[in-house]
Amino acid sequence: MTSESPLLSARLSVDYRNKPGVLKNLCLEIQRGEIVGLVGESGSGKSTLALALLQLLQLKGAKVQGEVVFQGENLLQKKESQLRDIRGRQMSVVLQSPLTSLNPALRIGTQLKEAWRAHANGTGDQCHAAVRAALRSVSLPDSEEFLKRRPSQLSVGQGQRVIIAMAILHRPALLIADEPTSALDTITQSEILSLFARLNRELDMAILYISHDLLSVAALCHRVKGGLSTLNE
Amino acid sequence: MPSPLKNLALTILLALAVPVRAQTGGELHFCLHGEPKTFNPILVDDEASENVRYLTGGVLIRLNRQTQALEPALSTSWKISRDRRTITFHLRKGIHFSDGTPFSSEDVAHTMRLLMDPETHSPTGDAFRSGEGTAQVQTPASDVAVITFPAPIAGLERLFDQVAVLSAHSPKKEMAVLGPFYVADYKAGSYVLLQKNPNYWRHDAQGHALPYIDSVRLDIQRNRDIELLRFRRGELQLINRLDAEQFERLQRENPAVTRNAGTGLDAEELWFNQSPAAPLPASKKSWFGMTEFRKAISMAINREDLCRVVYAGYAKPAYGPVSPSNHFWFNAHLEDPKYDPQGALRLLAQAGFRLDNDTLKDRAGNRVEFTVVTNSGNAAREKIATMIQQDLSQVGIKVNVVTLDFPSLIERMTRTFDYEACILGLVNTDLDPNGQMNVWLSSGENHQWNPSQKSPATAWEAEIDKVMREQATAPTEKERKAKFDRVQQIAAEQQPFIYLINKDVLLAVSPSVGGVAPVVLEPWGLWNVDTLRLGPAPELGAQE
Amino acid sequence: MNTPKLRVICASVLCAIFVVGLFAGTVSPYPYAKQFRERPNAAPSSTHLLGTDSLGRDLFARLIYGTRVSLLLAPAAALLATLLAGIFGGLAGLVGGWCEKFILAATDLSMAIPLLFVLLALRALLPLDISPVLSVIATFALLGLLGWPSSLRVVWAATKNLRNCDFLLLARATGCGRWRMIVRHLLPNLRPVLFAQFWISIPVFVLTEATLSMLGLGVIEPLPSWGNLLRGLEDISAVTANPWRLTPLFLLALVVICFQLILPAQEETA
Repeated sequence: MTSESPLLSARLSVDYRNKPGVLKNLCLEIQRGEIVGLVGESGSGKSTLALALLQLLQLKGAKVQGEVVFQGENLLQKKESQLRDIRGRQMSVVLQSPLTSLNPALRIGTQLKEAWRAHANGTGDQCHAAVRAALRSVSLPDSEEFLKRRPSQLSVGQGQRVIIAMAILHRPALLIADEPTSALDTITQSEILSLFARLNRELDMAILYISHDLLSVAALCHRVKGGLSTLNE
Repeated sequence: MPSPLKNLALTILLALAVPVRAQTGGELHFCLHGEPKTFNPILVDDEASENVRYLTGGVLIRLNRQTQALEPALSTSWKISRDRRTITFHLRKGIHFSDGTPFSSEDVAHTMRLLMDPETHSPTGDAFRSGEGTAQVQTPASDVAVITFPAPIAGLERLFDQVAVLSAHSPKKEMAVLGPFYVADYKAGSYVLLQKNPNYWRHDAQGHALPYIDSVRLDIQRNRDIELLRFRRGELQLINRLDAEQFERLQRENPAVTRNAGTGLDAEELWFNQSPAAPLPASKKSWFGMTEFRKAISMAINREDLCRVVYAGYAKPAYGPVSPSNHFWFNAHLEDPKYDPQGALRLLAQAGFRLDNDTLKDRAGNRVEFTVVTNSGNAAREKIATMIQQDLSQVGIKVNVVTLDFPSLIERMTRTFDYEACILGLVNTDLDPNGQMNVWLSSGENHQWNPSQKSPATAWEAEIDKVMREQATAPTEKERKAKFDRVQQIAAEQQPFIYLINKDVLLAVSPSVGGVAPVVLEPWGLWNVDTLRLGPAPELGAQE
Repeated sequence: MNTPKLRVICASVLCAIFVVGLFAGTVSPYPYAKQFRERPNAAPSSTHLLGTDSLGRDLFARLIYGTRVSLLLAPAAALLATLLAGIFGGLAGLVGGWCEKFILAATDLSMAIPLLFVLLALRALLPLDISPVLSVIATFALLGLLGWPSSLRVVWAATKNLRNCDFLLLARATGCGRWRMIVRHLLPNLRPVLFAQFWISIPVFVLTEATLSMLGLGVIEPLPSWGNLLRGLEDISAVTANPWRLTPLFLLALVVICFQLILPAQEETA
């Protein structure tokens, strides 16, 4: 579990057009297979960081400065097409609210297949198998009936699991989880936490776990980076 | 308590309630179909204003709308000089305007001066403008007026039917009138209220003052359906000129209220564009210029069917520019052509056309096909066009029908000449052929088939020009009539306008109005308004 | 829910109407232009199922032929209009910035320009003697080309709402390409809006065609269309006297309702 260079090493400043200094010179390092907890108050820029790492902030009109070195390459200097190749395949994200993160017009199966096809050119059967395997690995039924459901027919916990399944389809090296449990009840929360722990073990996948909930961070993470606000040096 | 007394009271009440058939008084109520643009009689140019002028204006000579003869009105007699430039009126004495101002020859002079003044821009005055210079009016006595025009005017005395005499001295100016009513109230967009003129000069045979009716209320109502509805509710007592469909419906409901004044003067007609400026293929221009072609088309149109289907029988086939109801000017010696598709084909064959598998082709082998335009929104014209389409398909001619909004149609007719054939109506308010001068002279703007020519394009147009001018200067009406008969004959031979139908003039009159004798001339049911009487309104068919 | 059953019924009704329209020539008892001048305005009878119009033409025959004209061309025009609205509305909503401003300004402008004058100008440009068939096609093409602005506004608003949705963000985060995102993620969400615009346009176009013939642009005589059959209803008192004249209106309503009941089925196929 030791390697010469870290999986991800970032030094970032983010300014929104109408709100400068959201993140100032934030430094973050993640090793392969490591679960890093990131704790911060609401509004301290946690979600901003998650999107900034994936280079998705530019869409919202934000200015990102610094560097994000992922597997030895600076993502800030990459073109959109190269970034697309990394997103979802090597680095994926789980967002806060499963209900709005799933496309209401698409069936679960369709959404998962779409995510698979973004990075794979397999046959329908291969695609189907991959989707079902992903569903099984997040402890969801892989039945046809389930695949045909729409997001509105899922519970919140199931929804979050679907999103996690989508995120791990291509076995990324890094999974960024942005408050993945805040919308869930406590029992489901702990189930999701243990799911993360298991995925980390089984897939050797590094996880950046962003949360305001110290308890869950403490239960899951190998290492905790302190509150974001204190990072703004 | 005492019952005899109660009975007595009841009897009195009943007696009061018995409808007494009113001999005089009451308010006649009907609709104008547009806003009157002016109450000044010499500026009248629209139908609504013309209606008001007829009801309020006093004229020197009145055209009797029923007999179509001229009758003395404010003048007791008149005389036209041999050179047809001077007319001498002897005026009625002791007459006053509606405001009490006395009437004299000075008023006639004043009216003529205003009428002929170019500054006034009087449409009525235009008819008198025969040559350069103005009219001179002499008033040798208070009851004699002598008017001299710079050039002879044909049908001069008839023109005075349109000239309502204005007061030279009344402070009320044009609102002081000599007709049966005066304008008492006017609310723009809503109504015109006319009150009986207490100083009106006419009396009935028993010496009673006319008019019998106290007032006339003219509601301004453009929507003919609402007008009909209000009539059926009993709110209106008269509708001038219903369309055939409305008339028929009303007749089914209550035949007692429908009145057919007979065949009207207005005609619907079809013509081909013969303008050399028309951007049309040479082949089409040559067909439209062929007399045989136009005559054949005329023969192939089933006018009886048009009358029956489009107008529910309330129209008569028309064959010429003068309606048979124009008693004096109609040329009764022309024989009515028959509907004869076979004859049309023979005529077309003579002209080099041939029928090939049910399609007509010209000498060069072009298929005979043309487009008829008409204005949109006129259901009757659209139906006529569609029926002509089918009639002409019987002789192998393909007709396309296109409806255009009126301004576009006029643009094509008068400016671009980009059309092939057109169906429109000819509105005839004037019995005299001088009213049609602009249509028949080849230089005229309304010479629709080929307007504003510098010199006549054809021999027959040259002859029409000549005869039309001659009739305008002919010394007697009889000679004028002979000339205009010739014009009608040429029109029948050449068919520049293919006349289709004359509509009947249809009215609805409440049975409460006594003395109505509808005529085909404007103002239709109201021409004898001063002798109309109002009785109690019986129930109309408005109970739905 | 027995919606599947209902859908089958609706679909078969629509199919039946389409088939009758397509084979108008064989179904119709008379040519649509034939004038039975002896019996104008006839009531329904065994010889004339729906009676005759004011020129004595068989209304049943005209209705069938009118179905062919209107039901084939109005949806085509609606498709064209919705497509234009979808492309440009979607573009405005997605791209934003000057592109959005430009498209919306163009839309507002074309809504503000009185359509009547545009049509009058077009009529003046076209030759008078175009064949009825050509004029029909031109008319509906025109409707399609000019009918997009109001739909565009709706599509634009819907797209703008969707643009900032989490699920699109997540789709990007899974590495989805731009076009794939539009086609596979955005379109399914716009589909109800687009379909609604499409269905709404059909009856609107059928009726607009009728008013266009006033300008010499619509389906011209003697060719029938639902539009010019419906023009016969302008006179209310004539309708109360001949209630069977309402058949085209009934048919139009039936078709629109059927189309709309089939709509959810389309949505679920995604």
